Amino acid sequence: MSEYPNTIILPQTNQLVSLYSIIRDVNTRRGDFVFYSDRIIRLLVEEGLNQLPVEPHTVKTSTGISYEGSRFVGKICGVSIIRAGESMEQGLRECCRSVRIGKILIQRDEETALPKLFYVKFPEDIAERYVLLLDPMLATGGSAIMAAQVLLDNGVKEEKILFLNLLASPEGIKAFYEKFPKIKIITGGVDQGLDANRYIVPGLGDFGDRYYCI
Amino acid sequence: MSGDSHCSSSRYIPPWTQPYIIGVAGCSGSGKTSVAQMIIEEINQPWTVLLSLDNFYKSLSPEMSAKAFANDYDFDKPDALDLDLLFKCVQELRNGRKAEIPVYSFAHHQRTERTTTIYGANVIIIEGIYALYNPDLLELMDTKVYVDTDLDICLARRLNRDIVHRGRDLEGILKQWHRFVKPNSERFVIPTISSADVVIPRGADNTVGIDMLTKHINKQLDIKSREHLSHLEMLSQSTEALNYENVTILEETNQLKVINTTLFDRECDRTEFIFFFDRIAILLINAGLEFLDCRESEIRYTPGNHAYRFMEQLHAVVAVSIIRSGDCFMDSLKKTFPELTVGKLLIQQDTHTGEPRLHTERLPDIAGRKVFLLDAQIVSGSAAIMAVQVLVDHGVAEADIVLVCYLATKVGIKRILRAFGGIAIVIGKQQSDEQGSSFFKSRFIDAQYFGTS
Repeated sequence: MSEYPNTIILPQTNQLVSLYSIIRDVNTRRGDFVFYSDRIIRLLVEEGLNQLPVEPHTVKTSTGISYEGSRFVGKICGVSIIRAGESMEQGLRECCRSVRIGKILIQRDEETALPKLFYVKFPEDIAERYVLLLDPMLATGGSAIMAAQVLLDNGVKEEKILFLNLLASPEGIKAFYEKFPKIKIITGGVDQGLDANRYIVPGLGDFGDRYYCI
Repeated sequence: MSGDSHCSSSRYIPPWTQPYIIGVAGCSGSGKTSVAQMIIEEINQPWTVLLSLDNFYKSLSPEMSAKAFANDYDFDKPDALDLDLLFKCVQELRNGRKAEIPVYSFAHHQRTERTTTIYGANVIIIEGIYALYNPDLLELMDTKVYVDTDLDICLARRLNRDIVHRGRDLEGILKQWHRFVKPNSERFVIPTISSADVVIPRGADNTVGIDMLTKHINKQLDIKSREHLSHLEMLSQSTEALNYENVTILEETNQLKVINTTLFDRECDRTEFIFFFDRIAILLINAGLEFLDCRESEIRYTPGNHAYRFMEQLHAVVAVSIIRSGDCFMDSLKKTFPELTVGKLLIQQDTHTGEPRLHTERLPDIAGRKVFLLDAQIVSGSAAIMAVQVLVDHGVAEADIVLVCYLATKVGIKRILRAFGGIAIVIGKQQSDEQGSSFFKSRFIDAQYFGTS
């Protein structure tokens, strides 16, 4: 993925690969799917937060000595793409209590077969914030690109957007990069590609359905 | 890694493989038990084990049992006791293994189904009429005590004890005394006085004698403590190269730096502290998981019917927490492994000397398992070393131990690796040379996490 410098892939450790092995499996039941997805999401969120800028910050320790450390600069918020993206909100909250979370609903228009924006709700000062955009799957990138565009339209700076997903396709990363080269994509894994129906291969099925319904 | 690579100077010798062993003998009713109890109270050592010979009576056959109920069985001859089993139990303890101490029922003249499991004794007191009888046992004893009380007084005490506490009748007791107890005492017990280092006349009333005895024992235990400590100290001094291959120190990313800064800040309130510690705990546990073996197994299918190779994690983890700082990881562990098995060890440092002492071990069946050993802070490393030794004693291979800690000093890690080069260690932040050592030596993690000093 070196040709896309904006993309950060979590280290493909045995542990991570075995977590994915479980959630990919068609026979994995929903309880396990949710549990193991949540574990991956937690790692994604930690890596996402790791991309935020810091400044030097010195504190006094309990023994009275000074420790030259760091603190984050600027405020953040999450924006989840309804419905699958909402599954990642808990993971974000586990790392940032009381974080503000905006929502976007994008659905495929049955007549044109193109993604269409149905609903948007953002924190008022979103233009001043870093935004963690949440959507578990980056397949063609259609809805994520639209969501990013909505963020830009609301005054968010491109370089202040981090797009977190569990699984991406090379096609999706390419499409997203060509449109928004300054947005960082943080993904847990990149799969082989898309099939004729534009689903990720091998993928893990419809994330929202498996997380919420099946 | 081969286990032979440890030379003798780099092996950890836990205090329980060299327990201080005291034998207390004397005739029945002489006051041995009281003397032994007084010694235990006076020396006040954690993990002092009292082995009473009363639990080592041999089980009786039905015929012998019938004789026993008719007060016609000789319980006072040396043969009535299984001194070989006692010797074996002491040997097991000295080898760092668990010993199963039998429990004898006087009401049924039988060994019961139950046993008492003992492990990790620092001091062992062997008490009974024949404590100084078996030459093999005498070899193992550091101090041999004989309680010398007049036989008339012994009988008086015995009457009281057997009638009140053991539900026997007067006639039976007297019959037994004259037929068995007295002759055996004269023939077998009293001669063992010649093996004693110390003779305490009269028994528990002899406070001067007992005081002198405990002073001597305390002096010997002090020497033993100092040797243990200096041995731990030596582990950091050897110049032999260490293998850091299985040591993971989390990379200090922006993210981690912010978490560390928050946790180190003395102004940090507890809600904040717990929240940030739990975050780093998850990262540490995930780093530890990298030491578990995985194997590519069969082909499986996704909901889209695409094939992929399943990666299987081969081990279920057992967590062992060193009370209390290891307990800070419990919440995060449960979030990572919902069906986690947990063991606990209480190891505390003596406030004066700093010597680590094992107070409690509550371990599930861990032989042959993968164990995460949790300790939030490594300062001298001695508690962790002791904990690893306990795991090894319980059948866990060094290669199957992952020690997970948040803060660690370099010297602490060095000592641990010197003693146990085969274990893996995950560290959140290691003291760097310019950082104040005083801070890394102050134990504040569990105090803040649990909100007590």
